[in-house]
Amino acid sequence: MNMIEKILARASGRKAVAAGEVVVANVDCLLLHDLSGYLTGRVFEKEVRRPMRYPERVVMIFDHHFCPPSEEGARVLEENRAFARRHGIHLFDCGNGNTHHVGVQNGFIRPGTVVVGSDSHTPIHGTLGCFATGLGNDSHAGTVMPFGKAWFKIPETIQVRVSGRHKPGVTPRDAALWLTATIGEGGAIYKALEFAGPYIEGLNFWDRWLFPMIVVDLGAKCGYIEPDEKTLTFVHGVTDKPFETVRGDPDRKFEAVWEWDVSALEPQVACPPTVGNVKPVGAVAGAPIQWAELGGHGGGRLEDFRLAAQILKGRRVHRDTRFNLVPSSRAVFTQAAREGLVEMLHGAGATWFPPSTGSNQAYNMGAMTANEAMISTHARNFPGRNGSPEAKMYLASALSVAAAAVAGSIADPRQYL
Amino acid sequence: MQARGRCWKFGDNIPTDRIVRTDMIFKPWPEILKHVLETCNPEFPAKVQPGDIVVAGKHFGQSSGRAIAAKAMKQTKIGCIIAESFARTFYRNGFEIGMAVLECPGITAQVSDGDILRVDIEGGKIVNERTGRELQAKPTPAFLLDMLKAGGLIAMADRLAGEG
Ligand code: SF4
Repeated sequence: MNMIEKILARASGRKAVAAGEVVVANVDCLLLHDLSGYLTGRVFEKEVRRPMRYPERVVMIFDHHFCPPSEEGARVLEENRAFARRHGIHLFDCGNGNTHHVGVQNGFIRPGTVVVGSDSHTPIHGTLGCFATGLGNDSHAGTVMPFGKAWFKIPETIQVRVSGRHKPGVTPRDAALWLTATIGEGGAIYKALEFAGPYIEGLNFWDRWLFPMIVVDLGAKCGYIEPDEKTLTFVHGVTDKPFETVRGDPDRKFEAVWEWDVSALEPQVACPPTVGNVKPVGAVAGAPIQWAELGGHGGGRLEDFRLAAQILKGRRVHRDTRFNLVPSSRAVFTQAAREGLVEMLHGAGATWFPPSTGSNQAYNMGAMTANEAMISTHARNFPGRNGSPEAKMYLASALSVAAAAVAGSIADPRQYL
Repeated sequence: MQARGRCWKFGDNIPTDRIVRTDMIFKPWPEILKHVLETCNPEFPAKVQPGDIVVAGKHFGQSSGRAIAAKAMKQTKIGCIIAESFARTFYRNGFEIGMAVLECPGITAQVSDGDILRVDIEGGKIVNERTGRELQAKPTPAFLLDMLKAGGLIAMADRLAGEG
């Protein structure tokens, strides 16, 4: 069996499982954010009306809001707080960071476990060697909250083997964007993707994070990386709670093995209107940019601020562009301050925002007019997520985002290194 | 379980954000229903009739896993959704809220907007009354048909958790 088959077999009390079977498995962690949590809470209290069985496994994080700009938003948060109190679940209020980073940094996500969330990027936790996937509100309210369980169909697994070394000025985010286009939106529907190969193995934890992030838009159920020494060192650094690591059998079978090499890759940009519309940066260089942002599930990592600092050293943000910096967690902001990045980027004309999910869906920030364009490290660029449905959203690496902030238009970051 | 109605045809990769816009998610149903899928077909919200059948291309319902997109489709009282393929969260949410969704590769080439379709949901047989052609959807797992008959996941949750 592979890693997720083993995890799901254990969690459902079976010796073995195979692709296509439906199991009911114990869930170790349920992650909710302020929007999905509100919808789930209503279903749970109005339609399910049972006690919360394992409140200690349920974590709610306010990340779309870092400070509600409207009474409606304030009311959503107020009800969420009351819900959390009534049921004794964990609550991380505004300003703690984005849902996935907060979950990881606070030790709720551990190798070998079953993690669910209503955020569709929940598969990102496969980076820690978990089975992690997004479920809808009714699964959470109907079976996870009252019984600590959820149903799963065991997916077929494809191994994605990545090798090579990227060139200077190219980052793991470029590789992840390129893979999104190469596999294609909907190119792996219902599958599990195991990311492996020398390139993936060589990445540090937070760079690996960018790969399971893309699986949802490929249509996959989950993505994961087999835990190794790096994974364990990372997890032991954030929690001392016990866990049992699970690894796939050496002779595990895959439905297919897809192999790619990133050596020839140029910096990549996902262009409007979808995450799969990816082009080399040269193809869109010169497109005017009013907003640049390091934030979202794909950014706001310490790595992103360090990369931006390389570009902004001795330079300033262009006068026609606003450069927003959104740490993914409080821990990241603390470390950015320690490294002098807070002062340096602020001095170059960028603006720091509270730890949150950033401009995603324009709850606190990031609304644009039909004439504006943003380049960001976010996970998605579908129309209508940031104000006007005609506003343009480009996705790129932190280097490319910072280069655009300096140039006032999309630019090849290699010219600034 | 049968459905019969007008076919509303949509393209590939329709995200949930276009089924229910994200700024609508806390609004009351009547308000949401005025805008369902409107950016894909402005006539749909006003003209969709109970029993109508939504046909879509590949990867319908991608993006957010919030059940609200599936719930909004159910609220329009359509008979079912048939797509070349679905985003898995949308497919799952469909059955969990008690709405039939069928996967039928090749369907978009066989039906036009406005055709009358007849669908046997359990057997997966789809008849286009205009052309007389018959299509066969992929079989739906028995477990999901049970869920659909129960009216959705919450209605069968005790049984599913082994506590019913
Ligand atoms: S990107 Fe933001 S809105 Fe989208 S699924 Fe993730 S948290 Fe939710």
